[in-house]
Amino acid sequence: MSIQLSVEGLSKIYQTGEGVRDISIEVAKGELVTLLGPSGCGKTTVLRSVGGFVDPSEGIIRIGDRDVTNVVPEKRPSAMVFQSYNLWPHMTVYDNLAFSLKLKKKKKSFITERVDWALNLVHLTGSEKKYPSELSGGQQQRIALARALLLEPEVLLLDEPFSALDAKLRHELREELREIQAEQNLTMLFVTHDQEEALSISDRIVVMNRGKIEQVAQPYEIYHKPASLFVAQFIGRMNFIKGYAQPDGIRIDQLIFPNERGLIGEVAVGIRPEDVKLSEGKPSIEAKVAKIMMLGHYVEVTLHTIFGQLKMFIDKNEINTVELGRIVHVTLTRIQSFQDSNENYLERNEAYATI
Amino acid sequence: MSRLLKGKVLGIGLVMPSFLTLLVLVAYPVMMSVRTSLQNRAGEWSWDNYRYIFTEPLISQNIRHTMFVTIISCFFVLIIAYGIALYLRFSTRFFSKLINKLYLIPMFIPGVIAVYGFINFYRNNGWVARLIGTDNMLPIIYHVRGLIMINVWFNIPFTTMLLLSALQGIPNSIIEGARDVGATKWQLFIRFILPLSYKTMLVAITFLFMGIIGSFTAPFLIDRNAPQMLGVSMQQHFSVFNEIGQSSSLAVFMFLLSSAVGCFYIWSNMKHSKKELS
Repeated sequence: MSIQLSVEGLSKIYQTGEGVRDISIEVAKGELVTLLGPSGCGKTTVLRSVGGFVDPSEGIIRIGDRDVTNVVPEKRPSAMVFQSYNLWPHMTVYDNLAFSLKLKKKKKSFITERVDWALNLVHLTGSEKKYPSELSGGQQQRIALARALLLEPEVLLLDEPFSALDAKLRHELREELREIQAEQNLTMLFVTHDQEEALSISDRIVVMNRGKIEQVAQPYEIYHKPASLFVAQFIGRMNFIKGYAQPDGIRIDQLIFPNERGLIGEVAVGIRPEDVKLSEGKPSIEAKVAKIMMLGHYVEVTLHTIFGQLKMFIDKNEINTVELGRIVHVTLTRIQSFQDSNENYLERNEAYATI
Repeated sequence: MSRLLKGKVLGIGLVMPSFLTLLVLVAYPVMMSVRTSLQNRAGEWSWDNYRYIFTEPLISQNIRHTMFVTIISCFFVLIIAYGIALYLRFSTRFFSKLINKLYLIPMFIPGVIAVYGFINFYRNNGWVARLIGTDNMLPIIYHVRGLIMINVWFNIPFTTMLLLSALQGIPNSIIEGARDVGATKWQLFIRFILPLSYKTMLVAITFLFMGIIGSFTAPFLIDRNAPQMLGVSMQQHFSVFNEIGQSSSLAVFMFLLSSAVGCFYIWSNMKHSKKELS
């Protein structure tokens, strides 16, 4: 697959000292890559640099084969969908969509045809004459997407496009976006702070923190093999407890896990709630059921153990196997251990229970 | 039902104080002037005063002069203030930040003092004349030029403030969106910034027009003796010539001019609000 967008060694430091340092990302043609991170991590800076709205201090940005690092936004082959609905309030939907084509001096019949095509794509046929203020938030963002698509961008940039919408609409638009992306074979760079959104729509995810890349991987890998403690904390639900690493294994109470990476001393052990299982046999951990919450298709159980609180997900059909206040035995089927090295917990060890 | 009635009474009760103040301090004097303007010296109903202001060459000259000064001043104020507002909105340089802090200062200087300073500065033996030589000095004080200059000086801060707030109300994302689809700077201005700040420009024009057409201090101190601005002329008819009826008819005429601009503003506002709900 050919590389459609490449960012090499991008740095942008603001006067406040914040910014991004040495970011390198490659996006293949037809790929949807998400920049994910907490607010202030620099993901929007990267996106805006690609769009041309931020002048990077260092680094090269290529779209296709072309170096666009110093090209102004109006001449870049990229299109952007912004966080706020930024349709032009003084223009009708038709004018909003037709504007870029009018700038290119296209024929009127061609423009009408393309606008129809775009409206059909976002399921808003017939709204040409409306003003943005007459549309709902979701509809406005669909039009914004259509407007960007009409530019036939080589790279489509989306800056938290759905964050202002309510949850249900967000899910709908997410799916629609994924469909359109697949249909049109679009290359997309998508910024979000919503990890669920990132996991659900991305081909690959770039997790960022404090202006640096923590991990670049496919959603499954990001979830299952977080490269750092930060990623482990940020993506999905995770229990964190203390463990002790010895040459023969990582010890948590009675449980011992293999220590292939040779971590030493106190380590942070992360356990996904779905990897905490009720167990009758030994070795196991004794725990008291402190809270039971029904969350739809699964149940979240809060357990108190001697090394702190553990959350456990069980199937909704197993809700009768736990009872408030009772002592249960659990085992951990899979753990991730992180060792404190230079404050970053970068040393990571992944281990499965050997039962 | 009684609750509904109570609500109505409360609503009207809350509006009453300001309505009564308006009635006593504005509506009543306006009606009195209209009445006085329609009476001759003997106290009989007649069109004499209006006949006078529309046939007397001196007054027609004054009206023409007033319209000229008002329109030219409005034009210059609007152009300059819009320029400053654009600069302050889109520049992030040090100089723009400095101007942003300074541009409102003239609003806090009392008019008479400003005019006094202006006269000292620009009169034919003033500071500027001393610097560039009296012979090179264009007549500014007691000339329409000076009047327009001081009008511009007085009105720029408020107009700039108004226009700047309109420009700041245009989100960056709208402008970035337009650049993203390929609009040049000029297209950006014509197709986005101007249409989106146009309504505030109408407000500014309305304020400017009404403020300048009825101004007194500056024309009284800076303008020539003839032709005069209507405000000065009105004062003269009232206290120098003691022609109460004539000055009243002048006042009514000015009121009608301002109302025309006000109506234009309201009309254009309504036309827009039908289109945009924003």
